[in-house]
Amino acid sequence: MSVTPALIRALERIVGPEGVVATPEGRLTYECDMHTFYKGAPDAVCLPTSTEQVASVVRLCLEGRVPLVPRGSGTGLIGGAMAPHGGVMVSTTRMNRILDVDLPNRCATVEPGLINLWLTNAVKERGYFFAPDPSSQMVSSIGGNASTNAGGPHCLKYGITVNHVLGLEVVTGAGEVVRLGGKVQERPGYDLTGVVVGSEGTLGILTQVTVRLLHAPAAVKTALAVFSSVEDASEAVSGIIAAGIIPAALELLDAPIIRAIEEGIGAGYPKGAGAVLLIELDGPRAEIETQARRAAEICRDRQALEIRVARDDAERALLWKGRKEAAGAVGRLTPNWLLQDAVVPRSKLPQIMREVVTISGRYGLVIANVFHAGDGNLHPLICYDDREPGQLERAVQANEELLRACLALGGSVTGEHGVGVDKAKSLALQYAEADLNFMARLRRVFDPQNVMNPGKLLPSHPACGEALQPPGAGRLPAGTWV
Amino acid sequence: MPVSSHALTDALSGIVGKDRLLTDSASLARCAVDGALPVWIVRPESVDDVSRLLRLAAEERLAVAPRGSGTLMGLGNPPRRLDGVLDLSGLAAVVDYEPADLTATVQCGISLAALAPRLAAQRQFLPLDPLDGSARSVGGVLATNASGPLRYRYGTPRDLLLGVRFVQADGTVTWGGARVVKSVTGYDIPKLMVGSLGTLGVLVEATLRLHPLPGAERTWLVTFPTAEQAAGLLAAILDSPLQPNRLAILSGTAVAGRAAGGAAVAVSFGSVPEAVTAQGEDLVAIARGEGGRVTTAEGGFWARPWRFPAEATVMLKVAAPPSEAAALCGEIQRLAGELGIAAGILGEAGNGVLHLAVRGNLPAADWDTRLITPLRERVTPAGGSVVVERAPREVKERLDVWGPVEPTTLALMKRLKSEFDPLGTLNPGRYVDQI
Repeated sequence: MSVTPALIRALERIVGPEGVVATPEGRLTYECDMHTFYKGAPDAVCLPTSTEQVASVVRLCLEGRVPLVPRGSGTGLIGGAMAPHGGVMVSTTRMNRILDVDLPNRCATVEPGLINLWLTNAVKERGYFFAPDPSSQMVSSIGGNASTNAGGPHCLKYGITVNHVLGLEVVTGAGEVVRLGGKVQERPGYDLTGVVVGSEGTLGILTQVTVRLLHAPAAVKTALAVFSSVEDASEAVSGIIAAGIIPAALELLDAPIIRAIEEGIGAGYPKGAGAVLLIELDGPRAEIETQARRAAEICRDRQALEIRVARDDAERALLWKGRKEAAGAVGRLTPNWLLQDAVVPRSKLPQIMREVVTISGRYGLVIANVFHAGDGNLHPLICYDDREPGQLERAVQANEELLRACLALGGSVTGEHGVGVDKAKSLALQYAEADLNFMARLRRVFDPQNVMNPGKLLPSHPACGEALQPPGAGRLPAGTWV
Repeated sequence: MPVSSHALTDALSGIVGKDRLLTDSASLARCAVDGALPVWIVRPESVDDVSRLLRLAAEERLAVAPRGSGTLMGLGNPPRRLDGVLDLSGLAAVVDYEPADLTATVQCGISLAALAPRLAAQRQFLPLDPLDGSARSVGGVLATNASGPLRYRYGTPRDLLLGVRFVQADGTVTWGGARVVKSVTGYDIPKLMVGSLGTLGVLVEATLRLHPLPGAERTWLVTFPTAEQAAGLLAAILDSPLQPNRLAILSGTAVAGRAAGGAAVAVSFGSVPEAVTAQGEDLVAIARGEGGRVTTAEGGFWARPWRFPAEATVMLKVAAPPSEAAALCGEIQRLAGELGIAAGILGEAGNGVLHLAVRGNLPAADWDTRLITPLRERVTPAGGSVVVERAPREVKERLDVWGPVEPTTLALMKRLKSEFDPLGTLNPGRYVDQI
């Protein structure tokens, strides 16, 4: 059903006239997330300031079966926070308060619109931090992180967002306000917190999130290992993990990415290198010293050309600066690119990287790589120029072939970005019909009228594996974080 | 179509074979759930067997209780109906173990004890250490969301279960999650299955995240005259960069004979030897500052941190905000003293979960009104809970062993149950609010 003037007036009564955006130019601001290929402006946007307002908006939309699309900061990469079927978008940006910081219980409760980094900033002087650190953390919201179960470089040691969410307050697609989990770490009944995290706004709208805070480690050591080839670097990654060392982060950047970074922001990465590994260890000082020595030996065994250790926080920040802004720097390499987020078992890393080279050659396209190597989560950027006839089609094919290669090795479609509309059709490559049906039924329990973020996360007809619109090509803007 | 009991026996043995269908009274008694005797026990040998058995059970409107090692069959409310027991101990293979991935895929009937040496040979382990022992099956540990002191560093089953194969109540074999350490593809179905007590599906295969075994490990015990006096040490450890792999509080009969004092904080560090020593020194300094008496624990301490639970009349799992763990231990000991019963507590202090084992003779009504209900009233306002993990049937019949669940959340849970098990095939009556 469509959004009528009467519905917009009703929204204004709930959230106030200043909390509703319904002008054509205003709505355009909300037509896509960072995957700008997928566009769909909502018919109206509302910006509630309380749980009660969210619940009222949901109930209002349920009456008319109007689609509801939750949105945080809009930094997702999957076509998640956009409205392919129109409807009402619920932006949580005005719900951005820290409600409670409880250091003795090492947790905090925040509103969903709170920016990820603001939470760490609020507690770091007292020695604490919020572990999930997507590269977008200076702008992405904790509600968005929880909805997409966001990852980040330090997830290797600390786990992804779901491992840090203790509780949620959610307005479900049935219009009920439920409190799941909380400060107390165990509760009787199903772990609905774990189910709602990562559900991409298809089960409900988050209105509060209770998260773990961790005490900062005693010491941190960051090093850059330089290799002549991606294969050597990949072997080093597999070797480090196999040796029982779980670094806080283990990131791999290949030659095209290094070149783009050095021509752009300049992080001091050696320009001629075939690949670099960014290795960060944290924990008790004696532990990381020992592990750093062992990791360095493994890198040298795999023909590392050079190992640089950051001597202070400034040097550490510089090593990370290159990584954090890598995707943005890719604009120097190519006008357009597709981004993959598939995962392989980490022992298969050298094998998949050889496959990447083969696919790159077969399609005549540069594939640049910057990724969370330690957990096998690839981020190949398939470069193309949409002004050249046929390049886009080749890029799409290369992307698909790469995804299938990852799955053939026992991998997963997405490691941290999520599904959205972008990967909905790919789920059938990983899951059988019965598996997808189970998910579809789970969704129905939370959202019986199918109003919550329709068209996202699952293929539209899971029973027959039918896809949404073909994903085509994404044009990710400069400044994207991956 | 309903079949006669004779025809049912034929149908069951047609699936698993005569040798794997048990109907003798000794076996039935061994598999009773809260005194309710099953009519038959089947021991499937394959996932396909489980699927066909559940399809048959659904068609015949039978109620089935899945069983792993049988250790925690006393968990849950007494069953509303019970026809058959699905003994999964025969599904015990290691399906796939690639040490370099730090993951293993196993059939759920395998015991922790059988899996551990395979992993230890590669210097790896599955960091799940439920107090009731390593004889427990992986499936049982997952379905009951069991964990122990290692959770302080490594988390609970929800953090370690990456992928899961389960059989739905109608026999449909289903997979959720992934075989890799990081995946957000679709809903996180493994989270739904952890702790669901087999009420949404029977777990048959699990892909698990493993961790490297630390090169060295050592445990310190810090004793205090009373549990309350341990609060300062626990808070100081939590508010420090120390990285214990276990952090526990012991009080009452759980401490008896081990160290002088009414309570002990047990801390272990697992790391490279230099880091174990260095952190131990830091701990000792903090502990002395808090007035504790420090000793090192004997080797094998954690294999059997207490001997009491086997004889306990009632076992409770009390969850509260972690900062209240020590105070709560003290309160529970005082309450036990007033009731004249012996209480032992092993608490995962850093997580606010206390395992309480009580021995004594009280009328059924008193267990409820003088121990369990007051404890619930104490911890519920802060979001806590008291789960009765073991109790005589007459006690269980007086209360919901899980305690109250907030009504709107409960309504959602009930919708889930009726979506996935509309006929009440799987463990009817045993889960929260007799779902």
